Amino acid sequence: MTLAGTERRRRQLITAGLGTALTLVMGTVLIMGFRLATHMRANIGALQTASTLQIYPQEISHQLNSLRDRLEVRAYSGQALADLQATVKRFDQMLNELGVSAEADSPQLHRALQLWHQYAPVLDPVLSFNAQPYVDSDTAGSSLSREGRQYYAEVKRAQLFASDSAGALQGQLAALAATLQRTCSDAAARLRMLLLAGVLAALALAGAAGYFRLTRSSHERAAREAQEQTRDILKTVHEGFFLLDADYRIGSVWSEALTRMFGRQDFAGLSFEELLKDLVAPATLATATKYIKLLWGDRAHENLMKSINPLGQLEIVMDNGHGGKETRYLEFDFHRVMGPEGVKHVLCAVGDITSSVRLAHELRESQENANAQVDMMLSMLHVEPLQLMAFLDSAETSLNLVNGILREPARSDAEFRKKLGGLFRELHGIKGEASALNLKSVASRVHALEDMVADCKRKPELSGSDFLPLVLRLDDLLAHLRSVREMGARLTTLKESGPAAAASVAAAAPHGSAAPRQPRPVEDLSSALQSMAERLAEDHAKRFRLTVSGLSEVPPSYAATIKDCVIQMLRNAAVHGIEPPEVRRAHTKHDVGAVSVHFRKVGEGYELVFEDDGAGIATEALKAAALRQQLISEEEARSMDTRAAMALIFRPGFSTQDDVSMDAGRGVGMDVVARSVYALGGRIGVSTHPGRFTRFKILLPAAQAVSSAVA
Amino acid sequence: MRNGNAKAINGNAKRCFKLMIVDDSNLMRRRIERSQQFEDLQLVGTAGNGLEALELFKKTDPDVVTMDITMPRMDGIECIGQLVALKPAVRILVISALADKATAVEAMERGANGFLEKPFTDRQLNEAIAELMR
Repeated sequence: MTLAGTERRRRQLITAGLGTALTLVMGTVLIMGFRLATHMRANIGALQTASTLQIYPQEISHQLNSLRDRLEVRAYSGQALADLQATVKRFDQMLNELGVSAEADSPQLHRALQLWHQYAPVLDPVLSFNAQPYVDSDTAGSSLSREGRQYYAEVKRAQLFASDSAGALQGQLAALAATLQRTCSDAAARLRMLLLAGVLAALALAGAAGYFRLTRSSHERAAREAQEQTRDILKTVHEGFFLLDADYRIGSVWSEALTRMFGRQDFAGLSFEELLKDLVAPATLATATKYIKLLWGDRAHENLMKSINPLGQLEIVMDNGHGGKETRYLEFDFHRVMGPEGVKHVLCAVGDITSSVRLAHELRESQENANAQVDMMLSMLHVEPLQLMAFLDSAETSLNLVNGILREPARSDAEFRKKLGGLFRELHGIKGEASALNLKSVASRVHALEDMVADCKRKPELSGSDFLPLVLRLDDLLAHLRSVREMGARLTTLKESGPAAAASVAAAAPHGSAAPRQPRPVEDLSSALQSMAERLAEDHAKRFRLTVSGLSEVPPSYAATIKDCVIQMLRNAAVHGIEPPEVRRAHTKHDVGAVSVHFRKVGEGYELVFEDDGAGIATEALKAAALRQQLISEEEARSMDTRAAMALIFRPGFSTQDDVSMDAGRGVGMDVVARSVYALGGRIGVSTHPGRFTRFKILLPAAQAVSSAVA
Repeated sequence: MRNGNAKAINGNAKRCFKLMIVDDSNLMRRRIERSQQFEDLQLVGTAGNGLEALELFKKTDPDVVTMDITMPRMDGIECIGQLVALKPAVRILVISALADKATAVEAMERGANGFLEKPFTDRQLNEAIAELMR
């Protein structure tokens, strides 16, 4: 660009110089030609005069002869004299005119004038004669008078002089004419040469003009092409480019990408501050403005300025063209354009890095997911594989049940609400088991699903479409369970390094099939309960010790139910029963609470006793909570005896907890326990003493060979 | 910076620049002192906050200063402004854990000449100082 500029300037200078030189040459030629022509014209005039004058001496001589002849024969001489007088006068006049003109100034003319000056006095007496030349007498006829004789003598003298000198005068005049003719020829030759030079100069001028016109048009074409190319580049490039001047204003050239990025077109002359004003926070704008000013200073070098660029990833919020807002990320890059006197411009390159920023976010998220998976894997390391598979089986069965509930056709609001209640209970059971196994990722997902169900429940009217998001979330949960199963399989493979183990795990994966819950031994339930108790104590800032006995005697057909019931009761004990340590101290109880689970065979059947030494159940609190949840009317509350009030805890949807947490507050729990027990043909009882203890006793009949009680 | 304050030490005709380290962490001050490998850079003092730095600056007239930003009593940004007002030719390298670009721009605006983010390697420190002394 700079080189082309220098070349253009050089050519302009050459054109101007050549043009001036040729104009001067042409001017000189024309002036000289004009002067030469003027001179020639005068020469030609002098030549014509000299040529005309040549014949006059002869003419004068003839006229003198004629005058003499007339005088001799006494004829009328007046006319002859008049002719002579006119001829002499014309000759004298012309010769004198010639004498004063510069062109004829020559020795020949001088000599001719000299001769004429000798000749003229001789002629003068003849010319000045004005008397009567004849006298007439009767005797002698006409004769010369005295003046006539004198006159005749003068004519004869003049005639004699003329015959002597006329030839010389004529010779001089002829020589003068010849000289003038030569001069004219020379002048004509010079003029021709001059004209030739002029023509050549004009041709050269025309040639130069043509050449420069050609080169200029080729340069203009090149410039036009360059301009077009620049325009094409600016139109096509994905980055936004513009130059900032020393007043921090945008120049007249910018790339079209800017239009897309900023949703405007009036960039020329726009200040950088105005460009960003409505897009970024005032603090960011202030920093950006300061930064731009720093770019004009000579203190900061390019790398440093790059490293502190505050607009490297600028978040802007823009209209998306559909009435909404859209967050985008722009990357500004600044380069200083140096001139001879320091920074001339600052080139700004703006890139839309929204997709790469989003990709980075996604990468971070997937990294976090991967970390969460590792965490999950680590937590799974503490879970017995068989126990894990048992959980997965039962969870999948429950979720299939949930699916079934969702698919059940329902028309009325009451039916929808019944469906929600069913969903709630199933989900709650899964969450309890997941928490017991410390599978936080599963528990939190189920919890989120419960939240959605709770949101549905709060809606004044329900329709089928309200269940759609639940189905999607359910799919997500099932997928997660499958990944847990896969991970479990891999872990087992790792742990046991035996193909047989892996095969057994794979075989235990029903993958979403509605397989019935398989009875599994519950030997490992004790340790799962212990770890769940630890987690519950930690989560709810409680301290208690769990004692478990007799669970190994649970018949396989009761295992699942017993497990669900114990988990639920343990949660209730941790959340509602056991008081915080400071409360226990205030009631002179031991800081560490006690929770016990005892299972034993009693006669033909079985007995499960679950007891905690916590706050017990206050019937008034139960009634108040039921009232709050509008499960009973005030009148019912008043008429309720202790036994009926206690029965409230087995009501679906009942909870004393107002806040929902992972472990309580849903109002789903004891009703699940009660239903499971009833389904096995058992009974459940509760006894409590406020401030002292709560005891649940579950009595179950003799076990059947195979149970389908829960389904 | 290169005129006036240079002085010959140990009979060596080579010019020597005076260095002042400002950081509220004793550990960081020692780290900077130990890590810099310039023979012609002589430590004239260290300061734990902006006010101390200002006092020390008046006494020792350093040519090169490394400056922390977050410090008690007077922060680095304020201190940079005051040091530059005292001696416009002073070269200041901001060494800060604040990754915030706005702080860097603010420091540059007040008169800092370089910016180095904590944590840094010895090589990064020496390159930054070399850039400063160029």
